[in-house]
This record gives sequence, C-alpha cells and structure tokens, in this order.
Amino acid sequence: MSDDETQAQLRRGLRIATLLVAVLTVDVLGLINLLRHLESHVVPAAQFVAIVALTVVLGTEAVLMIRRKPWQFLRWPALALVFGASALSYLTLPDGKTSTSVDWMFGATGWVVLVVLLDRPLRTVATFLVAHEALALVNLLLFHDVSRGTLARFATGSVTVFGLPLCVAVVAAVLGRIGREAVKATRELEGIRTAEAVAEAAHQRRTQRFAELAGTTVPLLEGLADGSLVPSDPAVRRGCAIEAARMRRLFAETDTVENPLLHELRHCADIADRKGVEVELDARGQWPVPPVVVRRDLTDAALTALATADSWARITVVGSADLVSVSVVADCAEPVEPASATPHVRVEIFGGDGTVWMEAQWQPS
Amino acid sequence: MAAELITAVIVDDHVAIAAGVRYWCEQADPPISLVDVGDRLSGVWTGPGADADVVIFDLELVPGKPDFGELRRLVDSGRRVVVYSQHADNVTAIKCIDLGALAYLTKREGPNHLVPAIRAAAEGREYTAPSLSGALAADDTPDRPRLSPRETEVLRAWFASSSKELVAAKLHITVKTVDTHIARVRVKYANVGRAARTKSELVTRALDDGVITLAELNQASL
Repeated sequence: MSDDETQAQLRRGLRIATLLVAVLTVDVLGLINLLRHLESHVVPAAQFVAIVALTVVLGTEAVLMIRRKPWQFLRWPALALVFGASALSYLTLPDGKTSTSVDWMFGATGWVVLVVLLDRPLRTVATFLVAHEALALVNLLLFHDVSRGTLARFATGSVTVFGLPLCVAVVAAVLGRIGREAVKATRELEGIRTAEAVAEAAHQRRTQRFAELAGTTVPLLEGLADGSLVPSDPAVRRGCAIEAARMRRLFAETDTVENPLLHELRHCADIADRKGVEVELDARGQWPVPPVVVRRDLTDAALTALATADSWARITVVGSADLVSVSVVADCAEPVEPASATPHVRVEIFGGDGTVWMEAQWQPS
Repeated sequence: MAAELITAVIVDDHVAIAAGVRYWCEQADPPISLVDVGDRLSGVWTGPGADADVVIFDLELVPGKPDFGELRRLVDSGRRVVVYSQHADNVTAIKCIDLGALAYLTKREGPNHLVPAIRAAAEGREYTAPSLSGALAADDTPDRPRLSPRETEVLRAWFASSSKELVAAKLHITVKTVDTHIARVRVKYANVGRAARTKSELVTRALDDGVITLAELNQASL
C-alpha cells in the first residue's frame, strides 16, 4: 500500500519535472530565440501561432496535473496540435536556418511530445520522437539546400533534441517497472504473513481444543488408567460415551460444511447409533449459522441425552431466522442432569416415565 | 366400533412399501381393506381402486419428478388422498396440502401415523404427521397464513417429540387441546391458496365444530 503511494509520488515528481523542462524549452528558450531572430522569419505570425499551440498543450497538462488526471481522450488531439504546430513552424522557416537558434521549434517539440506521452509505454514515446525527427529531416531535404553543414547541424542537434527526452522516457519506464516489482514483492510478503497468522491461529485452536477436552476427558482417562474408575460401572460407561461424542463433535467443528449444526448433530447421533440406539434425525427450516460456542450449547443437551439413551432417540431441529430449536427425545432410564449453558442458549429438560425431552433454543439477535 | 370397513388403494412402485402398508392395514383394529395397484395410476380410477375411500399416493412414481398434476386431478375429483412420500422437504409437503391432500407423510413415518392418517382421511378429516408439522412450523413463505405463537409452539413440539402425550404434558395442556391447535393450523392453511373440495370441507367442519371462528380465520389469511 505504502509502496503504491511511493510509486505514485515518484511518478508525479517526474511529471512535474518534465513539464517544467518543457515550459522552459518552449516558453523561455523558444520565446527568447523567436524574439531575437524575429526579423529573420518570413512569416512571424505563423511562428507565434506555433508557440501558442505548444503553450496551450503545456497549459492543459498543468491543469491535468494539478487535478491529478491522465490525458485520456485529449491525448491524440494534443499530439495532432503539436505536430501541426511543428509542421507550420518548419514550413515557414527561412531558407538555410534549419537546426539553428532561429529554428526554436526543433528543440521544443520533443519535450512537449514527452509531456503528453509520459505515462505511455516507452515504444510509443520513441515512435513519436522518431516521427518528429523524420518530419524535421523531410523538411530539410525537400525545402532547404542540403549541404554537409546543414546535415551536420541536424545530426548534432538531434543528439539533444531526440536523446534527452528519450532518456527521461526510459527513466519513466524503469520507474514503472521497479514500482510494479515492489508491489508484487509486497503482496508476496503479505501472503507469507497471512499464511503464518493462519498457521498460528490453527495451532492456538488445537491447543484450545485440547484444553477443552482436558477438563472432562483427561480425568476420565486418568481414572481408567489408575484403576479408580472401572469400565463395568454404568456411570463410567456413560461418561465415556459422552466424552466420545464430545470428541467427535470437536473434530466435526472444523469441517467446512454448509450446515455445521446439522453436521455436528449427525456426528453426535452416530455415537449413539454405534451403541445400538435407534436414532432419527430430522430438520426443518433454514437458519443462520450459529457461532461455535452456541452450537456447542445447542448440541450439548442432545449429546448428553444421546449418550444415555437406552434404545431410541429422536433428534429434531426447527429453525427460522429468529429461533433455532434443537430437541432430543430419548428413552433415558436415568434422569439427565441439566447441561451448563451460556446465556445465549436456553435449555429445557422435561421428562418422566423413562422418556426425556431436552430442548435447547437459541435466538439469533 | 361399528364403523364400516374402510378401504384404501395404494399406488406405489415399491412392492416392499405396498406389502408393508398391507400388513399394517391388516393389523390395524379395525382392519383396513387395501387394494394394491402397484405403479398403475389407472388402477385408482377404474376397478376396485375407484371405489376406495382413501388413496395412498406415492408422489414420486417417476424418481425425481413429483407428480403434483395427478394429485390435483385426484383431489379435484373428490378423492381423499394421503400422500406417502420419500421426499422430506418443506416445499413439497406444503404444496401437497395446498393442493388438497388430507395428509402428508414421509416414508420414515410408520403405522403409528399412516393408520391414523388413513382413518382420518376416510372421514374427510386432516391428519398432520410430525414431519408435516415441522414443515408447517418452519414455513416462511410469504403467503403462509398467520399462526399464533402457541400454535407454532405446538407444531414444533409435535414435530420434536412425535408424541401428543409428551406435547400435552410439556405444555401443560390436554391432548385434545394439542389436537385442536394442530387442527386450527390445518384449517388456516386450507383457507388460503388454491380452492379444493377437501379443503373447503375442512374449513366448513372446523367452523361448524367451533374449532375456529370466521373472524379468526379471516385474520389468519390476511
């Protein structure tokens, strides 16, 4: 982001510098040369029209630059104006004065072309600079006396007329490439940082999950290991079933599924199914995805009832945009202790005659 | 009960389903006489099937293509239809009762619901099985009738427990009141949407029996 800004600042600096050079060349140097050699010109009015045309283009650039806008559709009319002015100036030049200080236009055009094309690819700038050179050369060959002297003047003049604007264009192109590479490198760096953050978060989640199991599963395993809990005790077996279901639910929580609540309930149901409990699971309606803590509360009642069911259980979910209700009806011989729920979820337990009905409700706010 | 023997005709392409339903009907007390026409829809319109009191209709004789058109034709000719479907989605269930089916059961619902549904349909009454109850409780289509919070609560509880005794005990009401709430919901649904003879009979009967008043009915369909 800051690299983008840096690049934009560099480009703007270059734009201002180019415009300043162009203004100096046209309206200071050019004007001085024009006024000093005014008597040499055959049609002074044509030269003034040409200098005004170039000044208009530079003025437009100044406005665009202040407004931080590119040339867009104005670019081609502006170039046509520049070339038109050049042609006018060259054609009305007195005989034998090409590439002299009388020919103020020869040095000025290249900079104005560059001003208009600074944000275009290098080849476009080069093409138009070459076109200007060609224009000047054709004028020299067709309408002036071609001698060794005029050709030599043309050649030496061209070094600055063609070479300097081209150098600036090369700098602009290089600056653009460096900027793009910097942006790319920054993106790559950001990608690596994101991946690191994701890995960190995943690790934290795993640690947290282990901590969550540590409170309930670990004591059970420890008890079984040191012999203080015996597998023949129905309470221990029930505890194991509940913990197994919790672990299954924990594993299911990270799955990417469309309906995580149903997905986790299916995993809880599967544990009961394996014990030989006949489980029905039915869901109706559509509901927003509850956050993990809420899902845990919603499924916790179901999990406990399922783990203690003797032979059958019915799990149902009815959901809408403003209420999600998870119910489990099962034949639990022993009363089920109420599951601890967070304030988001309301758990109701109703039972008697060997049937327990637990309902957990959540109201999405 | 001295009621005359109920006859039902079943259209279902699965022989195991037809055989199972036949067994349930024979075991019912009093038994229900069942005509099995396999997957031939013509058997419902001609022969012994044409005189049956109740049509047990498998909505998907062609897999993936629920035959709502045939259901509409049956209802329009005054037949009392129990839809027995493997489909469990809300839209299908509600569409069936909107077309005028008196009961909608999924194939996971066994004799505990199918036999009472056949008996109710034979008398022109509706039967709301838990799956349909859940569908109605979760209905969020814009043109659904307006249900009272208590009615929605009863629908949800009946869907959750599939035992009216449990619903009654949990909500501290009688089983009869549970039935009344469910019946009122069905009357409200019968009063909206498409006109059908079975539906208007339900509404008329509910008004006659005082299950719902005309004012309540009008308010529900607003």
